[in-house]
Amino acid sequence: MNAGRFRTSQILLFVALAAFTAAMLTPVVWALMTSVKQPIDAFAIPPKIVFEPTFEFHRQVWLEKGFGRFLLNSAVISLATVVVSVSIGTMAAYALSRMSGKAVGGIMLALLSLRMFPHMLLAIPFFILAKYLNLIDTYPAMVLALVAINQPFTIWMMHSFFVDVPKEIDEAAAIDGAGEWQTFFRVVLPIVRPGLWVTALFSLLLAYNEFLFALVLTGPHTKTLPVAIAEYGGEDLNYWSLSAAAAIAIMIPIVLFMMALQKHLVRGLALGAVK
Amino acid sequence: MQLTTAGQDAVTPALRKSAARRARRAQHRRLWPFLLPSALVAFFILLYPLGYAFYLSLFNYYLDTGASTFVGFANYADLFTDTRFWAALTRTIGIVVAAVGLEFCVGLTVAYGLYRLTFGVRALNLLMFLPHIITPVVAALFLKWIFAGRWGLLDSLFATFGFFAPDWLGDPAWARVTVVLADAWQFTPFMILVLFAGLNTVDPSQIEAAQIDGASGRQILFRIMLPSIAPIIAFVLTMRMMDAFRYFDTIYVLTGGGPGTATETVTMQTYALAFRLFQIGKASALGVVTLLIVLAFASIIVATVGRRKGRT
Repeated sequence: MNAGRFRTSQILLFVALAAFTAAMLTPVVWALMTSVKQPIDAFAIPPKIVFEPTFEFHRQVWLEKGFGRFLLNSAVISLATVVVSVSIGTMAAYALSRMSGKAVGGIMLALLSLRMFPHMLLAIPFFILAKYLNLIDTYPAMVLALVAINQPFTIWMMHSFFVDVPKEIDEAAAIDGAGEWQTFFRVVLPIVRPGLWVTALFSLLLAYNEFLFALVLTGPHTKTLPVAIAEYGGEDLNYWSLSAAAAIAIMIPIVLFMMALQKHLVRGLALGAVK
Repeated sequence: MQLTTAGQDAVTPALRKSAARRARRAQHRRLWPFLLPSALVAFFILLYPLGYAFYLSLFNYYLDTGASTFVGFANYADLFTDTRFWAALTRTIGIVVAAVGLEFCVGLTVAYGLYRLTFGVRALNLLMFLPHIITPVVAALFLKWIFAGRWGLLDSLFATFGFFAPDWLGDPAWARVTVVLADAWQFTPFMILVLFAGLNTVDPSQIEAAQIDGASGRQILFRIMLPSIAPIIAFVLTMRMMDAFRYFDTIYVLTGGGPGTATETVTMQTYALAFRLFQIGKASALGVVTLLIVLAFASIIVATVGRRKGRT
């Protein structure tokens, strides 16, 4: 194979893959364009590629249609979930990485199978219990539900970082007279800090994206962005530009997230971070 | 560890072993408080509700009236004679197999393309990954605006060229196709990512040796690379099938299970029973059955893969 033919085949391959990527991104670009179109442009046939953009709908969604409040709800619920889930999950993962024996393997496997559970089966008892406890439409109900389904992922992810830290480091700390907690907080935790951030970001994404539990457990006061946009955009196309504006805005933090975490996507997603 | 080092020649192996075991047990005792908070969460917010769901499935429990009577396994018996359940189950399996099959074929092709490409891989990989990471509800809406009647991108393109577009979301057969395409749009990037990572773990010296022996690119792919990433393929297919089986967000937004029950999967049916008809007992029974199906599914795949690996 000579160099010229090699280059041609590489360029053809690149063009094919770029075309595939473009096709995959079409729905996103289409929504992005709709969100800055006047209705007359949005409902034009043939579809308009060139038009005068307007940010009127982006403004309206946040300032007049109450999405600011939904953003606040999403932020409170997601952040609280991350703080609780990652701190207790990290502790458990540390203990599991330092223990040995059959029971540990069993626990890890049980956690993995919990991750596979049909969420619908949990949504029913969550709803009934939350109703009995008067927790429907409160933050704690949603946070507890999300912490619970997020635990298997957090523990597996942090476990994969802790096993990379040699046990000799713990033993050295123990010889220097550090207790278990001191060893954990002062010695081991600082070593896995990058992993901690990665885990926290993935957990944040999971909480931010979650729909089913939010649909069942939240109400007018605690409605999150996914539930709000599903209600809004699921209706007819009258509010098309408005819902497109909201949908695009909901996506923006995720794009930032993806750029921040590109190196860790495989590890996080293989453990099922997102859905 | 220190217990068994220098000057322990007189100690019998049995004694040394029991000392090590004692040390381990002491360490476990010191570590268990670390596990406690997670264990409490797992018990009270996962296992207890699951047990409660099973308990509920034994009752005829209507949420709107609050009436509740113990019926034993009658809800399960009802399910197995309910044609709507069997229809939903076969429909779900059809959708799952079609979607995961499509994702795997496209995913492997693209992953192999990326593997062969020598420039721009990082950027392409990241860009094509976007559909997977978007909030599922938002992703479903993006697709809805492609498939929506008359003003959606597809329909307006069809209209531009003077064709009559099918009713993507309103015709039962097309609605199922649309749901499969929607799943594929969101999860093909996941397939690509995992398979691409897998292809890169194949030992390059093995590939070079085959090249020297004159093997073609296709032979190398099918005879060397795919067999060596078989465990990854099995893992990703299992994971994907189980997830697709319980998937909810996309169908809820895209078709709501309709038209009629054309895209009603088992999960959608559970939702409708529980939160539209408020038949909590029956819905719980359906949830438990779904769980058992998913578990059976997983163990079959794991067993098959395990056997095949043992043979070669």
